Amino acid sequence: MEEIKKTSKAKLIASALIPIVMLGLMIAYIFGPGSNFLGLGVALPEITIEKIEFLDSKIIATVRNTGHIDVEVVQADVNDRIQPAGIEPDKFLNRFETAKVIIPFAWNESEPYEVGLTLNDGTRFSKSVIAAIQTPEPNFELVSYFAIIGTYVGVIPVLIGLLWFPFIAKMSKSKYKFFLALTAGLLMFLGIDAIQEGLEISTTSLSGAFNGQLLVATVVVISFLGLYYSSEKLISRTTSNLTKPVTIGLMIAIGIGLHNLGEGLAIGAAVGLGEIALSTFLIVGFAIHNTTEGLAIAAPMAKGKPLIGKLVMMGMIAGTPAIFGAWIGGFIYSPFAAVVFLSIGAGAIFQVVVSILNWIRQDEEKTFSTMSVVSGFSVGMLIMYLTSIFV
Amino acid sequence: MHLVKTMKGKMLLAIIAGFFVTVIYFSLPILNIDATKEPKTFLTHSGAVIQTTGDVLDPVGYSGKPLEFDPEKYLREFSYGRISKLSDGTTLREFTIIAEDNKIMEISPGVFYNVWTFNGTVPGPTIRATEGDLIRVHFINNGQKPHTMHFHGIHKAEMDGVFESVGQGGGQFTYEFTAGPVGVHPYHCHVMPLEEHISRGLYGVYIVDPKEGRQPADEMVMVLNGFDTDFDTENNFYAANTIPFYYQHHPIQINTNELIRVYVVNILEFDQINNLHLHGNLFDYYPTGTYSIPSTYTDVITFSQGERGIMEFNYTYPGKYLFHAHKTEFAEKGWTGLFLVKESDTSQYGVK
Repeated sequence: MEEIKKTSKAKLIASALIPIVMLGLMIAYIFGPGSNFLGLGVALPEITIEKIEFLDSKIIATVRNTGHIDVEVVQADVNDRIQPAGIEPDKFLNRFETAKVIIPFAWNESEPYEVGLTLNDGTRFSKSVIAAIQTPEPNFELVSYFAIIGTYVGVIPVLIGLLWFPFIAKMSKSKYKFFLALTAGLLMFLGIDAIQEGLEISTTSLSGAFNGQLLVATVVVISFLGLYYSSEKLISRTTSNLTKPVTIGLMIAIGIGLHNLGEGLAIGAAVGLGEIALSTFLIVGFAIHNTTEGLAIAAPMAKGKPLIGKLVMMGMIAGTPAIFGAWIGGFIYSPFAAVVFLSIGAGAIFQVVVSILNWIRQDEEKTFSTMSVVSGFSVGMLIMYLTSIFV
Repeated sequence: MHLVKTMKGKMLLAIIAGFFVTVIYFSLPILNIDATKEPKTFLTHSGAVIQTTGDVLDPVGYSGKPLEFDPEKYLREFSYGRISKLSDGTTLREFTIIAEDNKIMEISPGVFYNVWTFNGTVPGPTIRATEGDLIRVHFINNGQKPHTMHFHGIHKAEMDGVFESVGQGGGQFTYEFTAGPVGVHPYHCHVMPLEEHISRGLYGVYIVDPKEGRQPADEMVMVLNGFDTDFDTENNFYAANTIPFYYQHHPIQINTNELIRVYVVNILEFDQINNLHLHGNLFDYYPTGTYSIPSTYTDVITFSQGERGIMEFNYTYPGKYLFHAHKTEFAEKGWTGLFLVKESDTSQYGVK
């Protein structure tokens, strides 16, 4: 019996491996010695300048080989004027390899700059910075500065939003449904917003080699499915009806937390790259915008016992990622990471929207087509749109 | 916790772990910087000092091999042709010029570009004759496209190198004309698309001396040119004699109180104008070199495409003197050089 089981397992493994081996043979044949029938067309070099930093009397550009062939970086320029530079570790870049180009240059604060790099075949690639600003170095002062921004943008507004809890707890069923639907509308907006942001970064900063749009789609779907699976597991294991709203609230908090991580990334990166002057006005805009997120967490829990400790904890789960986002974005910004985080956030938020809609439907009416649900959803999106104008 | 023990749990963990490894791989720069490596210090062409453990990007050093084109040699090299006398006493100067268009040349350190050449160089050889000489150019086109030679000067219409395109792969044509007028003239290919055939490098200088000769001088040729290496109809590199910054690192050595004569030809494509500025001195300028009286005494001259002239000057004080495009963009992209003026009683060119 054991013997038979073993041979059948071996057969199974063999049948899985055969196509892979065949594919390997084909690739070996195509690329192998003496084969030249695929010598059609010309592979063009491509590099992407991912980051430009401004330090004391020097500009540092981080460059990645995002093309299909190995390249050699042979010249650097600032504003299209040739400048001597150092390149570390060396000027030869294999596929996806990165290097730092250090250009001694007396730059002026808040003026625009373009950094260009020329390859051995004479093609030039460049990246622009709207306004040069000393690149922050991770010191205690800046770490706390970003923490304060994150607190103002993420933590405090969410906690303020949670103060609506008693208000929602006291209202009638149809009004409560209105607020649940409003929450779903708010989140739907945030999800679309995150996708739009991710696509924007894909087109402006991410190399074509990464297929930014498809990266967004893939990560959104995986994030949605992953969180859907784990939340269903979590909810199925919570037997009492008492903890169910808490579970949904927790999932909403996690979703919003991921969203705020993305928001923090964007703010940190913008400060670090000198792309915006982070004004108090902007912080106020983000704060108003994010207060509604507290409402989203409070709404599903409002019909349960007022669990103040749990509410505050969820507020922190939703809000504090803004701080971490600001740190990551400010100190080790990477467009790839930004797109991935935003997409995870979007997937998480859509999962939460589905959870809330299910929650609404569990009532006796089992329908979405009530006035309170439809108007709540619409008002939710409208509120987000209007507050987003301030950002 | 029990989730981890199951097969499903392991798979989930593997997916999540794989996902984050991928994100980190593509997010963080892959830098193999050896921290223990001692940084080297370089003094660059702009005077900036670079300390790095890696490579230096500076248009100074070339990739080990000697340059395929030597601006040092080109500067003072004149081609007088194979000389013979016709029965009527006229001097016949015969030249053989071969056009090619498949050469890849290092035109700036590390930058390799497909240049089109007359006799293997950009610019082609400097053809020099005396007014009234008979010039016979045996032109062979070994390129993969049709090419011609169009000389500025006075000649018959069928010797103009415009309508008689010479076929690729060994096509031949003999240009024959009497040298004149006195001056400095360009020659270049005149096949369409003209901008491409010229900007790729099919040009050179043609000098006609007066019968009575010129006052002895330290003579040199400067062709103001550039290269559009990324084909966006804007030059990426500018130079006097092809190689950016060359004479800045290899200053042209001249002597005090010696007459210097520079034949300047602007063949630069894409840009409307070009100019030349000489430091610490002024010069007599003869536009096109056709008259023996200078039109001006200045330190900046401006050229449009195809414009050229002769500069004459001498330095009183020894030292390093820049010459460059006063269109500073061009200067910063390679069109910058130096004269190193030495105090000397005896001249290497025998002219004092």
